[in-house]
Amino acid sequence: MAELLLDSNIRGWVFLPIVVITFLVGIVRHYVSMLLASQKKVEVHQVQDSQVMIRSRMLRENGQYIPKSAFIMRRHFFNNEETGYFKTQKRAPVSQNPMTDPSMMTDMLKGNVTNVLPMVLIGGWINWMFSGFVTTKVPFPLTLRFKPMLQRGIELVTLDAAWVSSASWYFLNVFGLRSIYTLVLGENNAADTSRLLQDQVSGAAMSMPPDPKAAFKAEWEALEICEHNWALNGADADLLGPQNTPESAESIYHQSKTN
Amino acid sequence: MPWNYDNMSWTDVRDLFRTWREDSERKSEDVVELWESILIEKIHKLGNEKYLVLEQVCVAALDCNRLSVAKECIDLLEQEFPGSLRVLKYHAMHMEALEKYDEALKILDSIIKRDETNAAPRKRRLAILKAQGRITEAIKELTEYLKKFMSDQEAWHELCDLYLQEQEYAKAAFCMEELILHNPHSHLIYQRYAEIKYTQGGFDNMELAKTYFAQAIKLNPNNVRALYGLLLVANNIALSAKCPASKKKDAIKLGNWAATQIQKRYALKATEKDVKNVVDVLGQLQLES
Repeated sequence: MAELLLDSNIRGWVFLPIVVITFLVGIVRHYVSMLLASQKKVEVHQVQDSQVMIRSRMLRENGQYIPKSAFIMRRHFFNNEETGYFKTQKRAPVSQNPMTDPSMMTDMLKGNVTNVLPMVLIGGWINWMFSGFVTTKVPFPLTLRFKPMLQRGIELVTLDAAWVSSASWYFLNVFGLRSIYTLVLGENNAADTSRLLQDQVSGAAMSMPPDPKAAFKAEWEALEICEHNWALNGADADLLGPQNTPESAESIYHQSKTN
Repeated sequence: MPWNYDNMSWTDVRDLFRTWREDSERKSEDVVELWESILIEKIHKLGNEKYLVLEQVCVAALDCNRLSVAKECIDLLEQEFPGSLRVLKYHAMHMEALEKYDEALKILDSIIKRDETNAAPRKRRLAILKAQGRITEAIKELTEYLKKFMSDQEAWHELCDLYLQEQEYAKAAFCMEELILHNPHSHLIYQRYAEIKYTQGGFDNMELAKTYFAQAIKLNPNNVRALYGLLLVANNIALSAKCPASKKKDAIKLGNWAATQIQKRYALKATEKDVKNVVDVLGQLQLES
C-alpha cells in the first residue's frame, strides 16, 4: 500500500487544536468541580455508630487478651437485652431511594454537570467540527480489530489500522491526559496529604454501612456467638520454659493430693 | 540535639520538619529556632506545605511560650483561610497559652457548634480543664466524649491517666483493657495494665498482674520494668495468706526466674561491681516485700 502523506495543515488545524482543547477543558472542569464541590456533612451519630462498630469488632477479635470478666462486662454493655447498646440505639432507617434525598440528588447532578455533560458537548462539537480527518499514525502496526477504535468516523476498508482519525484522537486525549493533569494541577501535593491526615479521626465514618440498624443486628449476632478463651492462660508458665513441664505435672499431683 | 545552623539549607530544614510532622515529634525548641534562623525567610518557597509548617511552628511556639511567634503564624493562616475552623482552634490555643481560659472555651464551643464531628476542639476543652486542675470535670467531659468517639485510643489513654490521678484504679484498668483490645501486641500496654492491677492489690488482681507482666516480658524480653514487676508480684503472691501451697512454689520459682533475668540484663550492660550492687538491692527488695 502506498505511503500516505498528510497535509501539514491537518497538523496545525486539527491535530494540535484537539490536544489543546481537551487539555484546557480538563483544567476548566477541574476548577469548576472544585467550585461546586460541597463538604460532605457527617452527622455526629454517624461517627458514633461507626466507632461503636469498630470497638465491637475489636472486642470480638482481641477479646481473648483481656480477662474473662472484662470481656463479659463489655459484651453485656453491647448486647444486653434491655440495656445493651445494640438493643437500645434506635436509628431511623436510611431511605433506600437516593432520589428522595435532596443532597444526594445535587451531588449526582454536580457529578453529571462536571463529568458527563462536557464530555458529550465537547465530544459532539469536535466530532462535528473536525470530522473525517486522518490525523496521525501510531508508530507500530496494529491488527484490524483496532480499526473501529482508532478510526471512528472514517469507514475506509483499505486504510491501515495504524492511522488514527480525529474523533478517535479526541478520545485518546480524554483518557490519556490524566497523568498530565496530575503533573499540572498537582494532585498529590502537600495540601492533599494534610487533608487526609485531618480526616483520619472522622474518616472512619465514611465507611459506615448505609443502614445502621442492619449493621447493628449483624454485629450483635456476631458478638453473641463470640466465645472467650483467655489467650494469656499460662503466660507465666511459658516464661519458665520447658524445664517447667515436669514441675507442672508435679503440681497437678499436689492438687490431686489436696483434693 | 543541637543543630549546626550554618550548614543547613532551607530544604534540609523543610525535610526535617516533614519527618518530625510525620512521626509526630514535637521538638518544639528546635522547631522554633530553626524556623527563626532559617525557614522564615524562605516561607514563600514552600508552596502549599507552607501552611502545614506554619501550624507546626505555631504549636511549637506555644509550647515554648513564644507567643509573638505563634501570633504571627496564626495571623498568616488567618489571612489565607479566613473563617476556617482549624485556624480558629489555634486561636483558642493561643488564648489558652495566655491563660484566658474562658475566652478559649468560648471559641472552642463555637467550633463544636459549627462542626459537631470535629474531635480536636473537644480535646482542647479537656486540655483546658486539665490545665485548670478540674480533674473530676475533665473526667466527666472525657467520658462524654468517649461515648461519641469510642475507638479513640488517645482518649482512652488520657482517661486512664486522669483516673490514676484520682486513684480510681478499677476504672483506670478498664481503660487499659480497652487499649489492649485496640492494640493487643504492645508490651507497654500490658505492663501498664499489670502495674495498675498490682497497685489495686488483692489476691485475684495479683494473679492477673502476674499473667500480664509475664505477657509483657514474652512480647519484649528486654522490658526490665516488667521483669521487676514480675519479681514483686511473685513475691507478693508467695507471701500471701490466701495462696495455696502449690501455687506458692510456682510463684517462688517465677520470682527467682525474674531475678536471674534481671541479673542477666545487668550483666550484659554493666561491670562486675555494678552487678553486685544490683544483687544487693534485689535482696533488699525480696526482704521488704
